[in-house]
Formats: sequence, C-alpha cells, structure tokens
Amino acid sequence: MILALFPLLRFGFGVLSIAWGRGRRALLVMSHLVDGALIGLLAATFRGGRELTFVAGGWERGLGIALVGDRIGLTFAALAWGLGVAVSLYTWNRNLRSYFYMLLHLLVGACYALVFTKDLFNAYVIFELLTLTSFLLVAYERRPGQIWASLRYLFLASLGMGIFLLGVAVTYYHVGSLDLDLIAAHVAAGPEAGWIALASALLVSGVAVKAGVFSFALWLPSAHSLAMPAVSALLSGLVIKMGVVELFRLSDAFPLDLPLVVLGVLTCSLGILYAVASSNVKRLLAFHTISQIGYLLIGFGSGTLAARLGALDYAVAHGLFKALLFLAVGDAARAVGTTDIRDLTARRADIPIASKIALLIGVLGIVGMPPFAGFAAKAVLEAGLHSTVVHALVGLTSVGTVISFSKLIPLLTLDGPRSLDRLRLAAYAWLGGSVLFFLPLSRTMIPQSIWSCCWSGWAFFEALGAILLGLLLYRVLRHVRLRLPQRIFRIEEGVLVILGGFLLVFLLLRLRG
Amino acid sequence: MPINGVTISILLFGIALLGLVLRRDLVIKLLALGLVNASTILCLVSLRARPDGAAPILGAPGESVMVDPLPHAMVLSAIVINFAILALSLVFVMLLVERYHTGDSQQIERETSKEEEP
Amino acid sequence: MRHVPLRLLLPALLLVGAFCAAVWVTFDYPGPDRHAADDWVDAARLTGAVNVVSAIYLNVRLLDTLLEVLVFSVAVLGVRFYLRERGHVETVDSIPESHVLRLSSDLLLPVILLLGIQLTAYGHLAPGGGFSGGVAAGTGLLLAAIALGADAVARRFHEGALAHLEWAVLLCALFLAAFPVAFGRPPLSDLLPPGTPGGLASGGSILLYNVLIGVKVFIGTWIMLHHFILHRGEV
Repeated sequence: MILALFPLLRFGFGVLSIAWGRGRRALLVMSHLVDGALIGLLAATFRGGRELTFVAGGWERGLGIALVGDRIGLTFAALAWGLGVAVSLYTWNRNLRSYFYMLLHLLVGACYALVFTKDLFNAYVIFELLTLTSFLLVAYERRPGQIWASLRYLFLASLGMGIFLLGVAVTYYHVGSLDLDLIAAHVAAGPEAGWIALASALLVSGVAVKAGVFSFALWLPSAHSLAMPAVSALLSGLVIKMGVVELFRLSDAFPLDLPLVVLGVLTCSLGILYAVASSNVKRLLAFHTISQIGYLLIGFGSGTLAARLGALDYAVAHGLFKALLFLAVGDAARAVGTTDIRDLTARRADIPIASKIALLIGVLGIVGMPPFAGFAAKAVLEAGLHSTVVHALVGLTSVGTVISFSKLIPLLTLDGPRSLDRLRLAAYAWLGGSVLFFLPLSRTMIPQSIWSCCWSGWAFFEALGAILLGLLLYRVLRHVRLRLPQRIFRIEEGVLVILGGFLLVFLLLRLRG
Repeated sequence: MPINGVTISILLFGIALLGLVLRRDLVIKLLALGLVNASTILCLVSLRARPDGAAPILGAPGESVMVDPLPHAMVLSAIVINFAILALSLVFVMLLVERYHTGDSQQIERETSKEEEP
Repeated sequence: MRHVPLRLLLPALLLVGAFCAAVWVTFDYPGPDRHAADDWVDAARLTGAVNVVSAIYLNVRLLDTLLEVLVFSVAVLGVRFYLRERGHVETVDSIPESHVLRLSSDLLLPVILLLGIQLTAYGHLAPGGGFSGGVAAGTGLLLAAIALGADAVARRFHEGALAHLEWAVLLCALFLAAFPVAFGRPPLSDLLPPGTPGGLASGGSILLYNVLIGVKVFIGTWIMLHHFILHRGEV
C-alpha cells in the first residue's frame, strides 16, 4: 500500500504545482512533509524486521508489478527525500518557475518508484522518466553549452535504454515473466544456459549508462559540470544512485560478480586519473562521482554481504557529501564568476565563508576522514573484500582522491563575506549535519554482526595513512601536468565505447560460465 | 540463418548504430536513434509471434493459439516513450541549429568546446 | 557520406559487427515454446474486457501506463517551454488557398475525429485505445491547420483552457488509479461493473482510462504540433 502511494503522491503534487503555479512553494513544503511522514511510517513497519512485498493492483506474483519494501529501498527513499529537501531550501529564493518544480517532483517521485520495484519493464519506464526529467533539468537555463551537453546525454541514455529493452526481450523470451524474483529462480535453476550471458550483459550495459560506470557514462562530466548547481547536486547525488540500486537488484538475480569487479576497477582508476588532470572544479567533482561509483561496483561484485551492504552505505554517504560539494562549489563559482581552479584560488577572498565551511565538510567526507561519512562506509566495504589486489587498488584510489582534492585546500581560508541567505545556510546545515553524523545513521542499515567486525585499528590506520600519503604526493607532484584524451567525450566515440563495454562484459560472462 | 522478425531487428539495430556513429548530420543521428528504438520494438513484437497465431482478442474467430499479449503491452509503452524522446530531441536540435547556423555535429562540438573550459 | 575518418570507421564497423554477432549467436531464438497467453486470458476474463492487451496495460500493469502518460506529459511540457521561450513568433503564412485542400479537409476532418473517438471508446473491444485514438484526432487537427491556417484553428481552441483541461485530466487519472494500484484491490471491476463482454459498457474502468488518456494525448499532440508550427525557426 504505502509503497505504491509514495510515487503516486509525489506525481500528484508535481501535476498540481504546474496546474496551480502560484502555490508551487506551498505545495513543495506540503509534499516534503507528507513524504517524511510516509518514510517514518515505513520505517516503523520495519521495526519488526519484516519486508513488505506487494503486487500493484492485487494481482498474483507472475502477472502484476511486484514492489518490495526492504531496508535498501527505505534508505534510498530517505536519501531521495533528504536531497529533495536540500535542493528545495537551496533554490527557495530564486523564484524558479513551476516547470522546474514539476520536474523536481517527478524526478523524486520516479526515484521513489524505482527503489521499490522488482519488475524489469517497470524499471525501464521509470528510467526513461528519470532520463527525460534530468535531461530537461540540465538544460533549464537554456545556455548553448548546456543544450549540447544534455542532447548528448539524451542520445547516449536512450541508446542505453534501447539496449536494456533488448535485454528485457531476451530475458522475457526465456523466462516467461518480468518479475526479478522469478527470473532469479529460473537462472539459479540452470545457470549455464547460453542466453544468460547475453541477457545479463545487455541489462547491465543499459543500466550502467545511467549509473555512471566509466566506459558507459561519458556524457557525465559535461552534463554535470554545466548544469545549475542545484541540478548537479541532484543528478550526482541522487539520479546516479538509482542506476546503482538497479545494478544491485540485477546482481541479485544474475551471476554478475566478475564483470562488476572488472568494471569497478576500470571505473575507479580512470575516473581518478581524469579527476587529477582536470582544472575545472565542477568537472573535477563529476569525475569523482564516476570514480566513487567504481567503489560501489567493486563492493557489489565481491559477493560478500559486508561488501554489498558497505557499498550501499557508501552510495548514500556519497550522495550526501557530493550534493553538499556541488552546492558549495556552485556558490563559490557564482561569487567569483569562473569555475577554473586557479582563478578561484586567486580570488578566494570573495568566496562566502559559509561555502568554505560546507566545502570543508564535504572534502572531509569524501577523503574518508574518520569518523565522518566516507570513512564509516568505506570501512565496512573494505572489510568484505577478499583479494588483496582489489583492496590495494581501492586504497590507491583513495590516495588519488586526496591528491585531487588537495588542489582545493588553498581555497579553505577563514575569511570571506557573509553574504548567503538563511535558507542556503539551512541547506548546508541539513546536508553537512548528515555527513558529520553519518555513523549513527548508517547503523540502521547495517546489521550488528557486520558492524562489529569493521572497527579495528587497521581501518583507522588505513584511512589516515591514505590521507597523509595523498597530501605528501600532492606536494611532490604538484607541477606535473597530465594530458589525457578528451576525444572520448563526443557522441560518436561515446557510442563506440558503450559497445566496447558491452562486449567486455559479455566476454567476461561467457568465459566465466 | 533463419529470417524472422528477431534477426531482422538485430540487423536494423546494427544499421542504426552505424548511422548514429558515422553520420555527422544531427537530424540523421536523430533518425538513427528512432530506428534503434524501433528495432527493439520489432524484436519485442516478433518474440512470440507464430505464423498461425491469433490476435489477442477473446472470442476472435478461428481455432489457432493466441499469441502472447504481454510484449504487445510493452510495445505500446515503448512506442510512446520513443515518440516523446524524438520530439524533445528534435526541439533541441532545432535550438542548436538556430544558434550555430549549422547542422553538423562536429562543428557544433568545436564551437561549444571553445566556450567551455577543458 | 561525407569524409568519415578511418580511425572512426574501422572501430565502428568492428564493434557494431561484434555486437550484432554476439546477440545473433547467443539469442537462442527458436527456443522453448510456451503457451503463456493462458494466464492472461484468465486475467482478462476477470476484468470483463475482450481485448486482452488493453486488460494488461490498463488493469494489471496500470502503474507502467501511468508512468508512461507522465513521460508524454513531460515531453509536451518540455516542447512548450523551450519553444515558447525563444521569444519571437514567426508569422505563419498559410499554404496558398487551394480548393482541393480545403474541400478535402472539410470532408475528412469529421471522419478523422470520429475515427479517433471510436478508437478510444472501443479500446477494450478491439485494437486501439487512448493513445492511438488521441494521436489520430490530433493529426486530424493538423490537417485542419494545414488547410485553414494554424491561427484559425488555435483561435477556436482557447489554449489556456486546454492546458488546464490537460492537467485536470491527468490528475483525475492519477487519483482514480491510486486506489486500485496502491491499495491492492483486485481487478478494477468494482469501480464500474464489468458488464457483458463485447458490449460497449464492459471492461470496468478500462473504458474510463481510455477516455482520459485519449483526451490527454489529443490535447498534448495538438499543443506539440501547434508549437512546432508557430516557432519554426530560421537556419
């Protein structure tokens, strides 16, 4: 019941805000309150530890659309709600049109619908809704660069969804149902069948385009760096995670361990290389989003429960601090008038002091400083990894993260005008508070048995060591310039790289089985 | 190699992908994108098609077996979504062509990267 | 084709060829035969509709259809927002007056509109439904716009009221659908009685949804086409 009401209510509010444009802000507040109440209700139902399963319309399992409410769904719904509140606070005084608010409501509603669904075709339609709304939001200010970036996004995303639909066709042909649980049972009964490699490769490639995996998501740097700061925060923090959630659901049904780990390793390393080489601060953040998604893929592919839950925890943490970083950097860039790091550093006295504090909190979160958000989730994730090679790579990526964020350290001086209005400060406090106090929040998602095994001194030592090593390497390598190929971010090469990624996943699955 | 709806749809998908990559004109890329979605729709429809199949309407005359109606329902949604995507991309292509006075994607790429920092 | 660089042509042919080969070889197509239609036939009999496909997408999988109507609305909204905000409106010169065009549009327009209504209303009895009916009627209006001039048609159609009607219809559909989808009531036959299969008043709420979607798609298609005509742009 509640599971299907979540998205429907949000859609209703969205339609109302465009029908009655004058009341759009009141409707925004009402919708957040209603959703908060629903989330609380759902959380209370979980106290007993039961999952809710529900088929929309009351039909039986194989026929209707199955919705499942488990901890993961609840956590990401809460993330969607939290980021929606933050973006509403941030953009309150800007007097945006009701068109923007409708898109915002539809985006958040679609996220609610996606985290609870267990049906492949439902996921397809929701992804298309997410693609359209986020594509329209990126181009909201109608600048030509934004229009080109979002057109590229639309091309690659709908190609990805076309591949996904082909995968749905193959799966449906062989299984006879679209329900992920039934598919999982069918695959488990006969895992050597030839079509499974094809179907899972197609489905994963399609979702990976939306999830920000490196070889599939080359639209991401331009789209996220050119959009409005509030929109970038929403996209990087929320929409990418929806692809990740769907990858998680797919990895429950299909045997996807090896390809996920390989893709994760590629994504981590290439993302961080491009981030270190970038001199535009928003593009830096966008590349970081890509490389952190690599962590999540490694976590899902490792198979152990600790790694998977740690990855989901990290996804939530990343959503929070990446949104905070985008909002803070957006304010800074608007105050100074440019997004180039060197210019920002030169004119750092103009950046409002609240943005600097928010930037500091976000950076502490992303580099994994204990005991904040990134550290807690990463510790659980790393506790579940088996192979030392992968573990070493994850460590190296953490060092790389520190190196690239060290470029922003000169910005964090303690002076600056106090020019931000109260609601922006409230948005910063909302997100910053959840980053700082993430530990108790993540206790709700991870059961006690796994939690207790990660709190060793080794975890602290690793995190602090990575930070120190990164700072040191930054001092040493500060003047080294990296030139990396920028040609792959065009449409044509983007399509070819997507096909290449699909073939990689397909070959890995065939060789495995 | 059997010639049926599924194999033709794979062939069309490949042709559309080639069109998307190798042609420089934005409108042709748009058509190629439409063809990608259309070939997936063709694949869905011909999945469970049978030469002696009956339309999925109760009480239709004839003794033959009814074809599977679920892909038809999926195709309805897919067609509407395809239509929406094409309409919106057409609007954006129009805005870009008007701004840069060319329909060539490489030229537009060059112009926008001049305005955007690396 | 204009000059395509070799470094693009070779990898493109290779990768696309490999993709198609991979799908072709492992699809396993003429595979296990399944008579899956039987479950759906039983479900359709419960709803009272005769067209099994419309019983599926307007009753069993109603959530998908709602989302897809939202996708359509977002598309119409996006087209309107981006085209209207460009500022200037070109003067629309109508196609030079031609008797043949005028006469045929006078004859055909009522037929097309009636066809749209029939497709929508009989959606649960024969292939058709809200989407195809709405689009058919919308393109009928396009024919009228070609023959009579777009502003003549637009003047008769009070676009402000149309926009409000569009959103009202969408809200109605969301509200009506919320009860069965969210509260898990078995097939929608308790909103409207199923009636005798084969009659116009059968199928329960499927008829209602078809009409709502038909109206919405009709208005949306007309708005989209009208904006494309008005804001044609220059190269």
